Amino acid sequence: MDMLGNILYDTVYHSAPIILCVIGGIFAYKANVLNIALEGMMLTGAFVSTLTAFLTHNVLLGVLLAVLSAMVLGLVFSFMSVTCKGNVIIVGLAINLLASAIAGFVLVRMKTSNITLSFLNVANLQVNIPVIKDIPLLGRILSGHPLITYLSFLGIFLMWVLMYQTKFGVYVRVVGENEEAAKSIGLKTDFYKYVAILIGAMCCGFAGANLSTERLGLYTNDMTAGRGFIAIAAIYCGRGSPTLSSAYAILFGLARALSVNLSIYAGPAAGLFDIIPYIMMIGVLTVVSIVENKNNMTRGFKNE
Amino acid sequence: MKMRNISMRLVNSILPVLLAFVIGGVVILAIGENPLETYGILLGKSLFTQKGLLNTLHYASPLILTGLAIAITFKANIFNMGVEGQMLLGGFFAGIVGAYLPAMNPVVAKLICLAVGVLCGMLFAMVPAILKAYFRVNEMVVTLMLNYAMIKVLEFLSTGVFRDYSSGYVSTPTIKDEAMFSRLGSSKLTIFFFVALAAFVVMYFVMNKSKLGYETTAIGKNLEFAEATGMKVHKKIITLMAISGALSGLAGAGYMMSEQFKYTLSFSGNPGLGWDGMLIALLGGHSPVGVLIAAVFYAALKTGSDHINLYSTVPKEIVAVIQGLIILFLAVKFVDEHTDIGDKIKMKFHKKSHAAGREE
Repeated sequence: MDMLGNILYDTVYHSAPIILCVIGGIFAYKANVLNIALEGMMLTGAFVSTLTAFLTHNVLLGVLLAVLSAMVLGLVFSFMSVTCKGNVIIVGLAINLLASAIAGFVLVRMKTSNITLSFLNVANLQVNIPVIKDIPLLGRILSGHPLITYLSFLGIFLMWVLMYQTKFGVYVRVVGENEEAAKSIGLKTDFYKYVAILIGAMCCGFAGANLSTERLGLYTNDMTAGRGFIAIAAIYCGRGSPTLSSAYAILFGLARALSVNLSIYAGPAAGLFDIIPYIMMIGVLTVVSIVENKNNMTRGFKNE
Repeated sequence: MKMRNISMRLVNSILPVLLAFVIGGVVILAIGENPLETYGILLGKSLFTQKGLLNTLHYASPLILTGLAIAITFKANIFNMGVEGQMLLGGFFAGIVGAYLPAMNPVVAKLICLAVGVLCGMLFAMVPAILKAYFRVNEMVVTLMLNYAMIKVLEFLSTGVFRDYSSGYVSTPTIKDEAMFSRLGSSKLTIFFFVALAAFVVMYFVMNKSKLGYETTAIGKNLEFAEATGMKVHKKIITLMAISGALSGLAGAGYMMSEQFKYTLSFSGNPGLGWDGMLIALLGGHSPVGVLIAAVFYAALKTGSDHINLYSTVPKEIVAVIQGLIILFLAVKFVDEHTDIGDKIKMKFHKKSHAAGREE
């Protein structure tokens, strides 16, 4: 029972940053600019939030600046890929490399290998929800998370509304589905692409702050460890739907929680449990892809 | 036309590098150092002394191979991001075989190690290749995921199964002398450089003169058209990924046998030979000759970055920042067929002389 509670609590814990990346990334996906810079934006968010909190002892300011800095990267990304028409994948990879390089550069200048927030007790950031926390198992799982974790689950609903119930969402999808048609009715397609990318950047900033400052009070370089790419895989599997893609994100959170909790019993093979999430994501992608192409009758090879 | 094409590509490769260096210079200025002096150390010590140049060529060898590995897949619009993982796996098992080999003829020992590396890289590349070709799974996500998984697996193997407990840190046993490439002269240069050059020559003919090379370009330009004209795109994807994996594996094995001699957790450095290979492929415009030049240039940056640490207070991480900036600017084509500066100037002159003629 205790074990189950731990696993489910950790599922929520590890899902949150990926859900944030997913619900941010789907807008760019729907607008037909594949944003693979999610990883770098998240890393920058994590770095800036911890650095700011370290220097000013103000966590709120840290989160704010994390979001801002991620959005600056988002601006660079959209300028290079939308305005200058650069190759989206290469721009994204460059931003991922840059984010890690800049953080590494600053860390070396500070003569340290990681930033630890010694003034902060991360347990104090956890919020207990009044009524729910007294329900036996459910309270253990749903209560006691930091603020951004709650925000991420709330975000699934918000982004669903934004995507399917507002004019803005329709326009973004039109831009992605048929850019020429969107232009012909007078939509500023570049503007919608910019906004779509910036929404993603904002969410990644939150995700980074959640990952480093809120949960651990610690930043080490490359701590995002591919979560941005896992988010992209989840977006692919869910075909850009906020709810379905988030479900895949939670599936990854579960894999991660399992690997963390089970590795205690594994002894020396514990290191191998870290690969479960990655392998599972590949398996899921494959199964989804097989199911989707099962009834495909076109001859030969078609792109995506 | 051909000349113009080449000069266009040159501008597109050199301008991003210059821009990145300028921004890097601003960063160096901001921390209170002299950028010109830093760049002087960076390039001077690694290109303009004999020993430095030979060392640069030594470090360029694996980069030529990873650069080619990425170039051949990117040219066909297949995004094989798994070169890093394939390289690590090839290097790791070349090292294990090299360490546990019975005593034998040194030439045979070296060949066995290289073959093991090539085979491992090739087999590992088959996973995303088959998934892409037959199940249409996005190869970029799969290769990236496999990289993370591979790093974890190798970390597990080197801390547990194959750990050399006599050394003070996590590493596999050192390879036998028979499997090591010996140095030529006082520099670090070994035979491995010539192995890489041979691979370069082969790849030059494959990419520029063979049927496969033509098909690669066709698939990269328009996949559906290539399929419609009768190319078997699945099989080509498998072949290209196999070549890419083999080159990556060779890079790892050679790097193991000429430089590292044992697998440590920082075997490939930061940001890794596979990632450097991507920069090199982009910088070289996916052409073999371009890759060769870019690899030497990049190796010069890498050897130079060690000198920066020795002779100035600028952290060598600045090179990683410059690398990221170069890739960022490389994504954008500064000039293409439509922005022809020469023609524009001619047009202007033409108009002017026309106007002048009318005034008379």
